[in-house]
Amino acid sequence: MKFSLRHGLRKAFYALCLVPLTTMANDPVPKAGKGMTIPVEYYKLANGLKVVLSQDKHAPIVTVAVYYNIGFRIEPKNRTGFAHLFEHMMFQGSKNFPKGEFDKLTERNGGFNNGSTRFDFTNYFEVMPSHMLEPILWAEADRMKALDLNQAALTNQQGVVKNEVKVNVLNRPYGGFPWLDMPQYANENWYNAHNFYGDLKDLDSANLEDVKSFFSTYYSPNNAALVIVGDFEIANAKAWIDKYFSAIPASQLPAKPDLTEPVQQKEKRFSKEDPLISKPAIAIAYKMPERNTPQYYAMGMISELLVEGKDSKLFQHLVQEKGYTSNINGGINYLGNMFNYNGPMLWMMDCIYDGTVNADSIIAKVDQSLAELEKEVTQESINLAMVKMRSSLYDNLGGFYGIGLADLLACFALFDDNPSRVNQLEAAFQQVTPELVRSTIRDYLRPTNRTILISQPAKKETK
Amino acid sequence: MKNLILYTSFALLLSATTAEAQTQLPAAGKPKDFVLPASKKIELPNGLKLTMVPYGNIPKVTVRVVVKTGLVHEAKGETWLARYMGKLMEEGSLQNDLQSLSKKVAAMGGRLSINVGMESISIGGSVLSEYAPEFIRLIAEVLTTPAFPAAAGERLKNDLKRELTVRKGQPDAQAQQEFFSILFKDHPYASQFPTEEGLNALTVEKARDFYNKQFGAQRTSIYVAGNFDAAAVNTAVSQSLGNWAKGPAISYPPVKANKSSELVIIDRPNAPQSTLFLGTPVPDVSSPEFTQMEITNSLLGGSFGSRITRNIREDKGYTYSPYSAVMERQSNAVWYEKADVTSESTGASLFEISKEIRGLQAAPPPAEELKGIQNYEAGSFVLTNSSADGIIEQLNYMDMFGLKETYLTNRIKNLYSVTPAQVQNMARKYLNYEDMTLVIVGDKKQLESQMNTINDTRKKKKAF
Repeated sequence: MKFSLRHGLRKAFYALCLVPLTTMANDPVPKAGKGMTIPVEYYKLANGLKVVLSQDKHAPIVTVAVYYNIGFRIEPKNRTGFAHLFEHMMFQGSKNFPKGEFDKLTERNGGFNNGSTRFDFTNYFEVMPSHMLEPILWAEADRMKALDLNQAALTNQQGVVKNEVKVNVLNRPYGGFPWLDMPQYANENWYNAHNFYGDLKDLDSANLEDVKSFFSTYYSPNNAALVIVGDFEIANAKAWIDKYFSAIPASQLPAKPDLTEPVQQKEKRFSKEDPLISKPAIAIAYKMPERNTPQYYAMGMISELLVEGKDSKLFQHLVQEKGYTSNINGGINYLGNMFNYNGPMLWMMDCIYDGTVNADSIIAKVDQSLAELEKEVTQESINLAMVKMRSSLYDNLGGFYGIGLADLLACFALFDDNPSRVNQLEAAFQQVTPELVRSTIRDYLRPTNRTILISQPAKKETK
Repeated sequence: MKNLILYTSFALLLSATTAEAQTQLPAAGKPKDFVLPASKKIELPNGLKLTMVPYGNIPKVTVRVVVKTGLVHEAKGETWLARYMGKLMEEGSLQNDLQSLSKKVAAMGGRLSINVGMESISIGGSVLSEYAPEFIRLIAEVLTTPAFPAAAGERLKNDLKRELTVRKGQPDAQAQQEFFSILFKDHPYASQFPTEEGLNALTVEKARDFYNKQFGAQRTSIYVAGNFDAAAVNTAVSQSLGNWAKGPAISYPPVKANKSSELVIIDRPNAPQSTLFLGTPVPDVSSPEFTQMEITNSLLGGSFGSRITRNIREDKGYTYSPYSAVMERQSNAVWYEKADVTSESTGASLFEISKEIRGLQAAPPPAEELKGIQNYEAGSFVLTNSSADGIIEQLNYMDMFGLKETYLTNRIKNLYSVTPAQVQNMARKYLNYEDMTLVIVGDKKQLESQMNTINDTRKKKKAF
């Protein structure tokens, strides 16, 4: 059994080795160079639940995902980490299905489940042998309807979540750097700029009332999307969804708070001390253009050229040429990808480097890379970025047992009311021109739109 | 190529519920048969093995070359030489330096990476389908004619030093290296950290020498899975690797893990958690008892619903990420439980872990619990074989441990044949808590007051 831990914030990292999923030998094989077209069936129940069905019969597996339109951005102000703590509560059982039964239903029938909390959603998914679809739909509906919220379960999960924060942040060198730290430095608006894993004090003060009111406010069908991907019959799925979900009442959702960030006019620099490290690390973050705008797609292409792979500008300059570091991380949305968020976002890069290197030398190389890209970008660069983008898109659409596809379908249903967007992404990236890349670099990847954070080893006390 | 149908026997585990439709878990459908993906195997005259698995409808292909060498072949004092060699190989071939290589691979929608493991080194990546033959040719260049550029020597050495510093700060890495050093002493399986001096002494020449001694066709398998033109792939492999030298025969230095009931505490001042590493040698893959051990592991600590996890996480809240696993090496296997627990609950956690182990020794697990674990393992097997990468992983695993085709065809049957009495027997025979090696990386100050509890768990107890 393997574990893939991506920044925690998930129920558990018990996951089978998640690897790209492909299809049956007797399925029609796409012609070389052709894209993929994903079947998408989309409808809504009377109570507002969004439903997306996408059949793929390559293996006797079905993936069910329920996404709630509540992420850690908009958790209560005096309760940091609460959205994630609540995610854990969704596994604590109901009157019909006591604690432990949900995990038993999935794992002990040959599948697995998980949940995670992100900026703008909390998700729950199960990957199962096909014949388990009906029981899984029932179990998801059951917990959407009513949880058996009790103090013992809450106390237990407060312990688990505090240990999650300890193992991923407090006892880990570079813990939380930069994925948890940077939003707190780069953003001004509390919703985007608080510690969303949670202060231990806040986690301790969560009480049953908070949990109950959070559940009744946000965990309703009109705030959710249900996605089924894989080997199932559409008619059966629809009948079961109707049977188990349609009677769940909609709730009155509060108005969404204002998440906007002021336009940044000045570069910000910060440094923090980490007592657990002996090599410094640097992260540089730029505020992203608004989602789904032409510049947003251009940023996706820029990211491919700047930081993805060993042919990328930053790898070539910082690793290959200078040897400042052996590895560059970077991209849009460190807790996911450029598609699964809905609000202000950062493009970021980070690396660990030697104390003998001046951080300004790294920053200078980043500036040089951007200047080169702006000067040199041609249609050929766009084509290269496009190939890289397509390749990772296919992995996402076809990989991870359908979890990658379910994620896109759910997010596009929740955020855009249009899950068919999965089939329009390639065309959107095709619209990016060299000129648009240049203007996007000028408008967004300017020093005055960035935040630099350096994590320093703590000074050793000499005794 | 024939498709093999496995008759899976998932038996739905239901809980007792009330009789009303909306409040009662509905029955599952009929389990579908699982078709094992067909693969085609070809052996070239020089001993290199090619396995092709056409699979899926994503226009991508995964290519992975696995060479049977790795850290295990490092001489004393040359720790991480294999990793250094891997980094140097990543710098490109005589025909294409890193920049040119990276550009070409990127234009195929892929990345080429080299992973240096304990017993194998894998080279490969995934690209858009149409580029499979070209990608194979590029990998073959790196594999058979690596450049070993002297100019990159110091930079890559510095990268390794930086990585060493970073790793030494991780509680996991500290615990793991201590634990495996007790079991494997100075054998490479001990996963020892190199020293700074040792890294300084590495040279490009030594790396090239390691490559010359350890690489060759006989030790190499290439796996191609996903969508590709099989004839073109076959041609690319024959042309680019058919004339490669046979090289050395497969050889792993024999070693047997040492059983030890040692308790080691590594101080990590002010740590909010103790990192526990507890384990002992168990029968390896070649043993007829191995499947029983796999099932025992899943039931005891290796799954989310396992006894230890349910206890210390889902009941007590002492930890977030406990798990147990069986680490497999040539002729060796080691069972271990790993957990990062709240510092003040270190003694209590160990008490609960020991209680669960002894509980399994005292009584066979109920049939229903065992059935659930067997379903879980059978399901994992189906999932593994439902993706190109998973299939490659499965085939490579079989190749690494010399397992025959019957391993695949009998896997599900074998999982379901394990009995409650056998699980209890595994726990009694191999998993005596007081005989296990225990490493704790934690804050000694906070552990002091818990030492009585910890030591008390280590006393021989008559469990059965």
